[in-house]
Amino acid sequence: MTAQSPTGAVTMGAGIRDVRRNGGRGALWVSSGFLVAVVLAALFAPVVAPADPNAIDFGNIWAPPGADHWLGTDQMGRDLLSRVVHGARESLLGPLALLVLASVLGVAMGTLAAWRRGWVDVLLARVTDVMYAFPGLLFVVLVIAVFGSGMTTAVIALGLAFTPIIAKFTRSVALAECSKPYIDAYRVQGVSGLVICLRYLIPNMAPALLGYLVVLFGEGLMSLATLSFLGFGAQPPSSEWGLMVQEGQSALIQGVLWPALVPGAAIALVVVAFNIVGVRVADRLNSRR
Amino acid sequence: MNRNEAALSVSGLRRAFPMGRGVPDLVAVDDVSFELAPGGSLGVVGESGSGKSTVARMLVGLERPDSGEIRVAGRTRGVRERGRAARLRRAREIQLVFQNPLESLDRRLTAAQCLHHVLRLHGAERAEADRRALELLEQVGLGAREAEARPHRLSGGQRQRLAIARALAAGPSVLVLDEAVSALDVSVQAQILRLLARIREESGVSLVFVSHDLAVVGQVTDEVLVMYRGRAVEHGPTRRVLREPEHPYTRMLASSVPGPGWDPAEVVRLRAEFAATAQA
Repeated sequence: MTAQSPTGAVTMGAGIRDVRRNGGRGALWVSSGFLVAVVLAALFAPVVAPADPNAIDFGNIWAPPGADHWLGTDQMGRDLLSRVVHGARESLLGPLALLVLASVLGVAMGTLAAWRRGWVDVLLARVTDVMYAFPGLLFVVLVIAVFGSGMTTAVIALGLAFTPIIAKFTRSVALAECSKPYIDAYRVQGVSGLVICLRYLIPNMAPALLGYLVVLFGEGLMSLATLSFLGFGAQPPSSEWGLMVQEGQSALIQGVLWPALVPGAAIALVVVAFNIVGVRVADRLNSRR
Repeated sequence: MNRNEAALSVSGLRRAFPMGRGVPDLVAVDDVSFELAPGGSLGVVGESGSGKSTVARMLVGLERPDSGEIRVAGRTRGVRERGRAARLRRAREIQLVFQNPLESLDRRLTAAQCLHHVLRLHGAERAEADRRALELLEQVGLGAREAEARPHRLSGGQRQRLAIARALAAGPSVLVLDEAVSALDVSVQAQILRLLARIREESGVSLVFVSHDLAVVGQVTDEVLVMYRGRAVEHGPTRRVLREPEHPYTRMLASSVPGPGWDPAEVVRLRAEFAATAQA
């Protein structure tokens, strides 16, 4: 199950896919442990971070990693470790919000299409085809051009771009589930279509959907970071990771690696960890049936 | 209710499936009529593709008849009925037990929850539903241990017992069993058939037993309807139809049941004979 990002931001090499599929139990535990640590760090950022993420110190620009600044400082002398830890909040909440939006819309659309079939299904298939065919990043940039840049707009735009992907996946899962006689049994009992979908069908699809959503979380994080990198998402002085990479560019030109590498590595590690966990969770839940 | 009124009365039932452009429709069920007395038991037999499952699905409303009428206790079942009250009334008229018990049960619900949901839907209070659920489980021979189990932890026979209890939970006047024991091994089959006979005696529910298996139908039904290619070719008391079949197709079906003095060569001869008459 490879998630396709609407912005095309993520292309997964065979190597990573092999790790996801074949990596031993260790890969799952290391990944989930890492993710728990990142989430905890984000939750308790003020406690965990050694310094104020916005404390400017022009006397200490682009300092290398050392005792005072474990991961060095950026172009304004701000502590990189503190910024990356605080940035985890925005970098994780953004994808979460866009996935909530996209799954509410996508699961509703996909379930409705599979349940009603006929013209509803055809209509939704056409709508998702158009949304699919339209380049995701272009769509998002268009929305931002109309409504202005900022994290909220970026999240809503990306949420809409992710919706057809979730709708398509949900539809295929729902079609398979609807063909099982237990759904017929509920109809024979006199349960209404709406109640069957909400109370029985969607909960029965939840394991498959959840695994897919965890993988998509990585894609969402990547896409949001891309937008921030391009200047459409988070705005300074935020320490959202994509924005940090963008700010680190000037350092890269001067031959200073750390300001771009630290947030870049954070993005890469979190995305890979979500992929590993997502695929494993989906496999495990599916095999339990 | 009129005492002489049939529990279930079906007349002129027809259903055709479109097979695509230029291909004639497949007539799955063609002009099928029968009546079932209150507390009666009717077998619908035939080979695969004879249309018997389509009859079962039309009875419970999963498939819509092209024409014909289905009446339960004198009331015509509408083709399209909307609204909660109509839906629940339909459910209380006819219930269905499916062939594959594992697939027809929700894997997320325990046996007790499964029954609880149906009882609540049909108007029972929470405490009443809990009590009735245990009663129903006991009625089909499942205990407190099975009550807390999800379908995958139950055996095939236990699952079908649960499916029967679930169908009974709505309090139907007619119970349709679509190949309900076909997936079970013979000793379990016999237990389920005894259970059905007992339930019919105790609750007075009428049974429609759809099966390809004449031996099974012979054990639990008073009357039998033989279907061939969508049509009812023979209809009469089970005992008579199985002993002295009139229609060549029924003769062939009856001779196909393995038993003492069973002669496979005779089956082949009868099938050839029947094929000849069917073509004429």
